Amino acid sequence: MARITLENIKKTFGKVTALDGVSLDIKDKEFFVLFGPAGAGKTTILNNIAGIQVPDEGFVKFDGEIVNLVDAAHRDTAMVFENYALYPQMTVYDNMASPMRSKLYHKDEDYIKTRVHEIAAMMGMEHLLERLPSQLSNGQKQRVAMGRALVRMPKVYLMDEPLAHLDAKLRNAMRTELKSIQANFGTTSIYVTHDFMEAMSLADRIAVINEGKVVQIGTGDAIYDLPCNEFVATLMGDPEINLIPGKLAKSADGYTFTMQEGGMTYTLPADKAPFAKLDEHGKSEYDLALRPQHLSYSFEPKEGYLKCTVYSYESIGNKSVIIAEAGGQQLRMLAPNGLRVQIDQDVYVDLDLTHALFFDAETKDFVARYNEEAIRAIAEPEEGSDA
Amino acid sequence: MSGLKIEHVYKRYDNEGKGKKKKVNDYAVKDLNLETNEGEFVALLGPSGCGKTTTLRMTAGLEDITEGNIYINDVRVNDLHPKDRHIGLAFEDYAMYPPLTVYENIAFNLRAKGVPNDEIDRRVREIAPLMQCDDLLDMMPVKLSGGQKQRVNIARAIVRRPELLLMDEPLSHLDGKARQAMRTEIKRLINEIKCTTVYVTHDQLEAMSLADRIAIINFGVLQQYGTPAEVYDDPVNEFVASFIGEPPMNILVTTIIKDAGHFFFTFEGSDLRIQVPERYYGVVSDGFRCKVGVRPMDVLIGGPDSKGTPEKVATFENLGDERRIGIRVGEILLMLITEDDTRYKAGDIIRLEVRAEKTHLFDIETGDRIREA
Repeated sequence: MARITLENIKKTFGKVTALDGVSLDIKDKEFFVLFGPAGAGKTTILNNIAGIQVPDEGFVKFDGEIVNLVDAAHRDTAMVFENYALYPQMTVYDNMASPMRSKLYHKDEDYIKTRVHEIAAMMGMEHLLERLPSQLSNGQKQRVAMGRALVRMPKVYLMDEPLAHLDAKLRNAMRTELKSIQANFGTTSIYVTHDFMEAMSLADRIAVINEGKVVQIGTGDAIYDLPCNEFVATLMGDPEINLIPGKLAKSADGYTFTMQEGGMTYTLPADKAPFAKLDEHGKSEYDLALRPQHLSYSFEPKEGYLKCTVYSYESIGNKSVIIAEAGGQQLRMLAPNGLRVQIDQDVYVDLDLTHALFFDAETKDFVARYNEEAIRAIAEPEEGSDA
Repeated sequence: MSGLKIEHVYKRYDNEGKGKKKKVNDYAVKDLNLETNEGEFVALLGPSGCGKTTTLRMTAGLEDITEGNIYINDVRVNDLHPKDRHIGLAFEDYAMYPPLTVYENIAFNLRAKGVPNDEIDRRVREIAPLMQCDDLLDMMPVKLSGGQKQRVNIARAIVRRPELLLMDEPLSHLDGKARQAMRTEIKRLINEIKCTTVYVTHDQLEAMSLADRIAIINFGVLQQYGTPAEVYDDPVNEFVASFIGEPPMNILVTTIIKDAGHFFFTFEGSDLRIQVPERYYGVVSDGFRCKVGVRPMDVLIGGPDSKGTPEKVATFENLGDERRIGIRVGEILLMLITEDDTRYKAGDIIRLEVRAEKTHLFDIETGDRIREA
């Protein structure tokens, strides 16, 4: 158990800057997710916490104590990697027992037995204990790798994309399983992933990392509903959020928004809060962002609907995505499976602007959205009340 | 012209090498029958090792056919050389000629066939924009991203105007977003050139989103051949039901009991009770054991006056776009998906309801669908 603090960590490899001033404050017992695209620096952050790498500048602190010079073995962390790194000649039981048989963290065999069985039961793999790794499926191997980390009660669990190379279905099932045992961890956990569903599902808080910097920190709700810029907005959600560049103009009773491509002009629903922020921002070029679930379609012309053509219609499992095109603007929206849709046929699209977000067209930073206060109340619980 | 026809095809690999034991069931493909319409996009879908790539390779002429016949546009091709089968091939790895530009890579096979230069130029420039690689024509392969390489690779396969286009997991090297974008491109391309296409994949999502019809194969045996809607809504067995869809269909062992004139599904280690739809009354009886399957979208949270069994939430996942709830039923985690905005937490009690018309029954032993009488 520990509170982990990073203060302005910098790390370069030759001429490449991997981490460029990363500061994080991870609370005791928190499940904290480092989320971002490949090459963002997530794993480097984890390695600096583990002590596998040492920062060029800045401090890593465990419970307020600087550990920069403490070597990896003495930091009392437990790691889970993407490749399971199991001992092939040992049974699952011995693999799981191995951390407690090391010199540094030695426990007696009775304790080991109780603990291994406890964790195995929690993870539903008691029946696997006598098997060798070669007799396990990939999902089972990953479970053992995770179980091996969980048997010890270290200061912090560090997990580096533990589910990344399982196929999509198994990954989702394992994620749900991990979620179900997570409440029993009782230990600070730091989890690296590039999968937004893992981040959303597991995290108490998410730090979005890009190009060696922390872009945004917040709960899953905050990252999803109040992204600080377009980069974060597009990372979360599948199909991706729609970004519609256009011009904002003041009218008698509020604002209108004219799409750059597609040519439609919308009167924005009247709402003081976002209008005040747009007033204050004072620019005229914005990217209006709208999640696919807030667009609707009709195959008959309708008043106020934008005329588009179908660019594609694809099933994504339980539902389908229509990508519609008007001018150069593509719009993604959800639809049920099994519709009779022809590519390039006409489709009429309606935007539910009461869910719109506005980003500055130049800086791509978040400016305003509808329902911001209500969303903030859900997305940022107990603000300021943490110890 | 009828596209591809596969007739009673078997493939057996000779296993009599040193140190190899002869297996009892060593057919990689077993009595496969498959027919496509002209211009149709068919996906061969199955787990790794199921025989889908072997089927593709036999069609292409890269593997011998142990038994049976393959026809391409009504011509039996068993003994034809690959180059005489009029096929286009696009594989997972791109295998481009590194010293040649993208243009020359696309043109290579036409040059080899002695197509005149101006005809080659016309065809390359016609295909390139379809695969959005017209800006890449002067580049060398080493400079291309994975997605761009795959575009060129597919352009190269279709520039010859094949009678049959064969693709083997062309997207599996690409990461999430590039893969999605390419999927859309392939879909539009095939719609444009209207070439009969057989597409091998282990990813049910790819098959569902691209194909006109899907052939689901397991252990070398065709399980079901149908449109995406058919295999999703009307699976013939437990394998198909659980392979198609994400999260997969909930499939639970159940004992059916009769209570006050109605049948109910009951589950070991759980107090969950679900009323059996009346259409099954002709095939079930008191004490009947089978498996029942229902998709996570078809499990619902009942309102305040619901008669559903109260159950404890075991897992709650907010994924932004949707929320997933897991309920423990014996050893199994029964999943449901909701777009409702309520935030639950583990331990909350919800009342479970099931869309009765969407339940499927399967035989415990064989996994075959039990249909209503």
